[in-house]
Formats: sequence, structure tokens, C-alpha cells
Amino acid sequence: MEIFSGVLYGFQVALQPINLLYCFIGVFIGTLVGVLPGLGPAAAIALLLPSTFAASPVAAIIMLAGIYYGAMYGGSTTSILVNIPGEAASVVTCLDGHVMARQGRAGAALGIAAFGSFIAGTLSVIALTFLAPFLARVTLRFGPPEYFALMTLGLTLLTFFARESTVKALMMAAVGLLCGTVGQDTISGRFRFAFGIRTLEDGLGLVPVIMGLFGISEVLLNLEQREQQREIFAPPTTGLLPTRQDWRDSSVPILRGSVLGFFLGILPGAGAIIASFASYAVEKRASRHPERFGAGAIEGVAGPEAANNAAAGGAFIPLLTLGIPANAVMAILLGALMIHGLQPGPLLVKQAPDVFWGIITSMYIGNAMLLVLNLPLIPMWARLLRVPYAVMYPFILLFCLIGAYSVANNVGDGIVMWVFGVVGYLLKKFDYEGAPLILAMVIGPMMEEALRQSLILSAGSFDIFVSRPIAAGFLAAALVLLVLPLVRRKPLPA
Amino acid sequence: MSRDRVSGLAWLAVALFAAVQGLSLGLGSLHRPGPGFFPFWGGVALGLLSVLLVVRPPARDAPDAPRLAPDTARPFVAAGAVLGYLLLLEVLGFVPVTFLFLLLLFRLERRGWAFSAASAAAGAVACYALFQLWLKTQLPTGPLGF
Repeated sequence: MEIFSGVLYGFQVALQPINLLYCFIGVFIGTLVGVLPGLGPAAAIALLLPSTFAASPVAAIIMLAGIYYGAMYGGSTTSILVNIPGEAASVVTCLDGHVMARQGRAGAALGIAAFGSFIAGTLSVIALTFLAPFLARVTLRFGPPEYFALMTLGLTLLTFFARESTVKALMMAAVGLLCGTVGQDTISGRFRFAFGIRTLEDGLGLVPVIMGLFGISEVLLNLEQREQQREIFAPPTTGLLPTRQDWRDSSVPILRGSVLGFFLGILPGAGAIIASFASYAVEKRASRHPERFGAGAIEGVAGPEAANNAAAGGAFIPLLTLGIPANAVMAILLGALMIHGLQPGPLLVKQAPDVFWGIITSMYIGNAMLLVLNLPLIPMWARLLRVPYAVMYPFILLFCLIGAYSVANNVGDGIVMWVFGVVGYLLKKFDYEGAPLILAMVIGPMMEEALRQSLILSAGSFDIFVSRPIAAGFLAAALVLLVLPLVRRKPLPA
Repeated sequence: MSRDRVSGLAWLAVALFAAVQGLSLGLGSLHRPGPGFFPFWGGVALGLLSVLLVVRPPARDAPDAPRLAPDTARPFVAAGAVLGYLLLLEVLGFVPVTFLFLLLLFRLERRGWAFSAASAAAGAVACYALFQLWLKTQLPTGPLGF
């Protein structure tokens, strides 16, 4: 069996001491990022990307991936103990998790969040293990027209899942497409939107843009509010193991959350945040006692926490099989793979099996590390939460500055980060979302290339998008998704 | 004017700029798109969407002005500090700029002079040790040599 030999090979790679160390560093930093409100995984991974340039590609990606799914674990701790989401995908965990803490059941909430995350994370890696190689074989036959059609569908999905307004999400996608054109045009060699500035001639860097949109702007927004005294529940040292009743209440929500999260994670733009909200809604509807939700129902913690972890695993599917990122974090991982000379996509499993299988199997190990690490370390994280934001944010800004500078050792990327930080701050004030911008910025240049290649293939005829059934199917689906919100006014009851 | 209108008009300006730039780069033909093809059509799409946002009647519950928070000066000072850091980084060098940056922000947070200066100095030196000495990041040096 190809998959089993692949997994075996993957474990050989992932269990090498150096890779284990990177995996540990990744999940540790990830938990930290998840625990600390105001710094999300996207900004953190962008920040740390330059520091992985010296590492091997496998080690680098293993660490960066660890930050991502590690953050999903850490976010729940802050939600439960402080009633502030440590990370956007843990917003719903506040609803019942914090109420449980008030009722003196913080231990059960933290415990079920960790176990639910572990189970869902593992299930989704198992699904990833079996699905990714299969999909890679299917997508191997995709040519430029199929890629163009698929990316069009991806961008449409992105706006379909928009939480604010569809029009604004489409606008952000258009702005992202424009941002993606900055720099030298690969086909004609002409400079676009560069205005003779060196940094812009190379194109807008993904790392500074993400640090600006998700790092700097977040800090600026938080600064508007004077800090209130945080009420932090003393972390329990015992009672973290869920009781038999807790398990009875939570096992089905965890399984449902895992499945829901995994599939939502695959879709571009949906991801962990939508998955956690969707799971909460599903559990509330499925429950025989919906009135318990919001009053400390353990299912309301177990389901969403499982869903956001499963989504983190699902998000790797489009990256590893198509080379298309499903969210901002995957966009940076895509960039990281390319910096290390790898081309993510269907060929990755053949060209770099060590990376492909190494990443996947490292996630089994990382999830296990997180479970072992997390429960005993909760008191330490709780102490960290007592550090006032006024002392913390200057360092967050400083780390962003150092990160942006060290991408290319010049100030230009820092200026790009600053501009996107200020723009991102304004976008948030005017209720725009940054995610569609980032994805369109990454996907835009790929789409443009696929479009131009398709038209070269077909000698300029657009029939190529209709006569090839897969491409036509994707485009038809995209059209339906675009028209649907115009008929129904609000896209998702999230 | 509603917030959507304000932002819609701003994006309309961006869209017009992009479309004009796209035109001057050359659209090519529909069958052989040129370098201006994506900028132009991206600009057109953004423009149409902005117009839609501007003319659409504002949602009833939408407040008129951007949400102004009680403490609006802090984000501006912080944003200014970040920009100042970037402009001075290669002039003064990493450690002095980092010291000044942290000192300013701690003072903004109304920490005492002694606490601010000590923490800023410690922070700057610790970052130097972490990034320059340990992670081997190439940080800019100033006239003082660090």
C-alpha cells in the first residue's frame, strides 16, 4: 500500500530529533500565540517565517504548521478562563466555556477542550493522510483551464463565506487581485504599480502585508480601548479529566465537530472560525436541551473546539494537493514552501515525499505533544495572561518590525507592513474583512498566469473553459454561488 | 454620510486609478491579454462594487460615523512610533532605535520614567541578543556600532 509506506516514511522523517524539536517549538509557540489575545496565528507565522530560512524545508514547514494547529488549542484556555477569545476561532468557546468556569467547572471545560481538540486533530490528520494522496493523483491531470476555473470557484467561495457583506467581501477580493499585480509582469516584463520603488518592483511581499493586516492593525484596534482589569479564574490543578458523564455529553459533538470542521476547513475562506460557529449552531439545534447552551453546556465547548482543530487539518488539503491556499495561514505556508524551492501542488508528493509525508505525520506527533503539554501547563499560561497589554503590545509591534526588516534586510518591507497596518485598521473600522484580500492577492497572480496559459493553449479561444468538463463544472458552480446571495440576502446564519 | 458611502467613495478612487493605470499598460486583446488586463478589469470590478455600495440604501442599524472610541489618540501615537522606528532604524542602528521606541510606548502607557527607561533598555538588549546573536538576523548597526 502506497499510503502506508508513505506514512512509515513520514514518521521516519518526522521522528528525526531535529524535526521533533522543530515540531515541539512550533506547537509551543502556537499555544502561546493562541493563549495571548491580540496576536493570531497568521501574524505569528509571518513573523517567524524569516527565522526558518536557515532550517531545512521539512523542519521549517513542520514548525510553522505546528504554530497553526497549536494556536487552536491555546485559544480555548483564554476563552474559558478570561472570557476573551485568545484567538478568533475560539470566540464561541467563551459562551459556554466561561460560564462553566464561573460555575467552578473550569477544569472540565479546559479538559474537554484539550481532549476534543486532540481527537478532532487526529481524526482530521487521518482523513488528510488518506485523502491528500488520492486527490493529488486526481488533480495531476488538471491543466491551466481547470486551475483557472478552480481558482475562480475558490475566490467565489471565499466571498460566499464572508461574515459581513458579500459586496464588501467581493471588493476586498478585487483589491487583493490588484495588490497581486504589483511588481514585474512575468509575461511582458513590464512593471505594474511600482512607481519606480525598488520594494514594489519585486511585488508586494506576503509576509509584510499579513503582518500589517493581521498584526499591526489588530494592535492599533486594541489600543482604542483602555484596558479593564481582567478577571482571571484561578486555573484548576485537578479535575481536568472529564468525567464519564462529560464524555457521554461530548463524544457525539466532538465527532460531529470533527467531520464538519474538516470539510469546512478544506473550503477556501471558510476555515476554523466558521467551523467553530457552525458546530455550535449544529449542537444547539441537535440538543434535546437547547436552553442549556449559554448556561454552561459542555457540548458547546467540545463541539466548536473539535471543529476548529479539524478545520486546521482540512486546510492542508488544497495546499498539498493543488497548491492553492485555503486561508491566510496556508498562504504563508505556500510562500514558505516556495522560498525553500518547492512547488506545492499535485507533484509535491512525488517530488518531495519527505516534505509531503513529513508534514502530515508530524501533525500526529504534534497533536500528541499538545495534549501532554497543555493540561499541565495551563497554570503557566494563566500567569502569562496577567501581563498587562500595555507592556505586551510594544513588544508585539517590535517583533513585527524586526520580522518585516529581516525578510530582505531592508526597511522597504517594513513600510509596506506599516501601510497595510494602517489600511487594515481602517478596514476594520469600516467593517471590511482582511482575509479575502490576502487570498486574492496570492491566488490572483496564479489565476492570471493560468488564464493566459489557457488562452495560449486554445489559441485565444474561450471555448477551452466550456469544452473541458471539469473546468466548465467549476465555473458553473462559481456562477451559482455568485448569484445565490443575490437571491437570498444573508449568506450564512453564523 | 453613512460609513459604507465614505469607504465606497474611497475605493472608487482606488478603482479609477487602477483602471487608468491598466489602460496605460495596455490591455492586449481579449484573446491575448496584455499586462494591463488584470489591473484594468480588477479596477472595473472594484469600481462597480464601490458604486453598488455607495448607492445602496444603508442598513437601518448602521451608525453614521465610524465607531469612535474614547481613547483615539493611542492608535495614532503607536502608528507614528512604528513609522518613526522604520525611518530611523538605519540611521541610528537597532539598539538605540529600539530603546527609544519602547521608551516612548511605555511612557504613553503612563509608566514611570525609571520603569520605562529600565524596561526599554532591557528589552532592546534582550532583542539584540535574541535576534542578532542567537538567530543571526542581520540587524542594522548605527554610528555606535550596534
